[in-house]
Amino acid sequence: MAIESNVTASGNFWQIPQQWWRKKIVPVIANLKFAIVLVLIIAVLSITGTVIEQGETPGFYQTNYPEHPALFGFLTWKVIQVIGLDHVYRTWWYLGLLVLFGISLMTCTFTTQLPMLKSARKWKFYDNPKFFQRLALSAEIDDRDLTDLTEQLETQKYKIFTEGDKLYARKGLIGKIGPIVVHIGMILTLLGGVWGAMTGFIGQEMIPSGDTFQVKNILDAGPLARNQIPKDWSVKVNRFWIDYTPAGTIDQFYSDLSVVDNSTQKELDRQTIYVNKPLKYQGVYYYQTDWSISGVKIRLNNSPIFRLPMAQIGQGAQNRLWGTWIPTKPDLSEGVSLLAKDLQGTMLVYDTKGQLVSSVRAGNSIEVNGVTLKILELIGGTGLQIKADPGIPIVYLGFGLLMLGVIMSYFSHSQIWAVTKDGKLYLGGRTNRAQVVFERETIELIERLQNAGTGEVTGDVEVPTAVS
Amino acid sequence: MNLVSLQNQLDNLSFGILFVTMLIYWVGAAFPKIPLLQNLGTTGMAVANLCIAALLSARWIEAGYFPLSNLYESLFFLTWGITAMHLFAETISRSALVGVVTAPVAMLITAFAALKLPDDMQASAPLVPALKSNWLMMHVSVMMLSYATLLVGSVLAIAFLFITRGQEIELRGSSFGGSGYRLTSSLATQTTEPATTAQPMAISSKSDVGNTAVLELPAMSATATLTPQRLSLADTLDNISYRIIGLGFPLLTIGIIAGGVWANEAWGSYWSWDPKETWALIVWLVFAAYLHSRITKGWQGRKPAILASVGFVVVWICYLGVNLLGKGLHSYGWFL
Repeated sequence: MAIESNVTASGNFWQIPQQWWRKKIVPVIANLKFAIVLVLIIAVLSITGTVIEQGETPGFYQTNYPEHPALFGFLTWKVIQVIGLDHVYRTWWYLGLLVLFGISLMTCTFTTQLPMLKSARKWKFYDNPKFFQRLALSAEIDDRDLTDLTEQLETQKYKIFTEGDKLYARKGLIGKIGPIVVHIGMILTLLGGVWGAMTGFIGQEMIPSGDTFQVKNILDAGPLARNQIPKDWSVKVNRFWIDYTPAGTIDQFYSDLSVVDNSTQKELDRQTIYVNKPLKYQGVYYYQTDWSISGVKIRLNNSPIFRLPMAQIGQGAQNRLWGTWIPTKPDLSEGVSLLAKDLQGTMLVYDTKGQLVSSVRAGNSIEVNGVTLKILELIGGTGLQIKADPGIPIVYLGFGLLMLGVIMSYFSHSQIWAVTKDGKLYLGGRTNRAQVVFERETIELIERLQNAGTGEVTGDVEVPTAVS
Repeated sequence: MNLVSLQNQLDNLSFGILFVTMLIYWVGAAFPKIPLLQNLGTTGMAVANLCIAALLSARWIEAGYFPLSNLYESLFFLTWGITAMHLFAETISRSALVGVVTAPVAMLITAFAALKLPDDMQASAPLVPALKSNWLMMHVSVMMLSYATLLVGSVLAIAFLFITRGQEIELRGSSFGGSGYRLTSSLATQTTEPATTAQPMAISSKSDVGNTAVLELPAMSATATLTPQRLSLADTLDNISYRIIGLGFPLLTIGIIAGGVWANEAWGSYWSWDPKETWALIVWLVFAAYLHSRITKGWQGRKPAILASVGFVVVWICYLGVNLLGKGLHSYGWFL
């Protein structure tokens, strides 16, 4: 087998795949057309997940995407499950494309962007008038020298280099650096996402006011997440309450939380959280996401205070209802049902036959079955989402660089060359983004040079008027 | 006069002004010799912009929070952004053609918001707990500004496609590394009035640049003095479209990131593949592809403009279409 390269028989075995990678794969991945097509493919495939419901039960897809008649003639629940259209953004093919995208970004940065920046910094002077004939925005002006030009360029914030009768000026080099910063920001964001998925966890707890808890109900955890889950400390829910607007709609949910050391029982931190303001402790975040009615405190005649748990009735997300059963005889042979729909205070009392006995507010008493039932208070439960994502600092760094980079990339890299030859000033320039504005600036510059000094205009630059 | 009736008058007024402005721009395009029309058009856009600013300020005072909580408010904020970007685009391009395409877009949005949207969707309503955050202003306003900017940029790309239809075109103003070089064939057409006619334009290839033959073309003066070569109308439109999209792209990036950071601070997840988020990503990807297609050899000219036109549709799907799915936190609600 003849290998057409400089790999000798004694050469390193790994040179073959390395060369294959460098010569065959890298040029394809770093190719801009490949990257653009890849980006557009990702965009198109992303649409599927916004049209087909994500993360539902198999039964849902069987009901909504039956085999007869198949949607569009092919989209059945079987197709959805085989391709993974019920969880598009976690399928191997989607994540594979994102990985390919990340690799493409990285190779582009090293094979194209950095060399381009290097060459942009390595500018040179030109002294051949023929060079200026190549530039679109160029002119020759009689009886002017570089000092006239330098003055003009300085007012336009150019960085100017001169050598003898040659001049080079540039501005907006930042616009050449911007795209590199954008790419680094994107790579960091993607890496941070991967790191977070590996080492983070997410959990949910519904905790009654007054209870202390540790995270037990873990919904999702990465393979390296073990160390993130708090073990040495717990969280105590001092109080949960809801503020209502005068119209009766919910204004805000609050939980007063304390971080408690497990061995010493000392309070390490205390914060009141609400939606948009979580508790942060040692990289673990507690977010206010849900609520419930977890119990009720009652007294029968002169009994001690009982605390009874309340359970949610039904599963509807809207019009939620909680209830409990309150015995009114010591042998539990008689009792009433207590129902509540929010923490605002009004509860309904039903007897064993299901008849409405009365409505009652917290703090009030009613007479049922010959005893005085006093409802002292409803105990709220706070629904918390608990989360740790060690990838966040990397992602945020990526975000920061991305924002900085896209702003830097708006600047146009403008360059101007000039040379004096045979009593004439040749000058020309070009820019990479803001063609229209650069043209106007440069033509005005040429005009001012022509009109300055002796007043004898020899060039024939036409005065620009409004385009159109 | 109370704030509510002031708002009702201002929204109808801004629609009326934009309608008249659109007609002025159209007539102005038909009779380009009347400079008064361009000035009138610019004035109309500026007045509409101020009217909408007054409308939104009245809302802000009335409701006590930044007026971006429902469809009506966001439509007017979008129009405000479009008129502002129009003025910017017109200033840098100095072309009355910008208004020919931007004015109808602005007019149609205000028509929809002021005339078609039911009254209960026009009224301001209290914010739900999830939206009570300073991030609301930051995230939503930047997103809306980016939509406005991208819409203006992409509608100019559509105008570019329309003007150059049926022509073979290669642009000098493309942002590809070799830009800024003289077009050899069009030296002949060098006039103060750029070529709007079907001039086949060819970018000089590396091999023939600097060819002295260009100096013998008839348009050149006898002494062959080197003079600047002006951009054509197609070049100008293409570049202005590019610059406006180039401004919208950072805004979109910052807006999406602000949303991600807000979501992470509020719910502990910076990205959750909610349909709106996904569509914002799609918009971002389409315009990223557009920006890169401009620096791709052989793709300059019409191909990027086609991508930008696709972007115009995608922005609308992201902004309004996602509401039809009716899911997620980002829904404005729908009335159909």
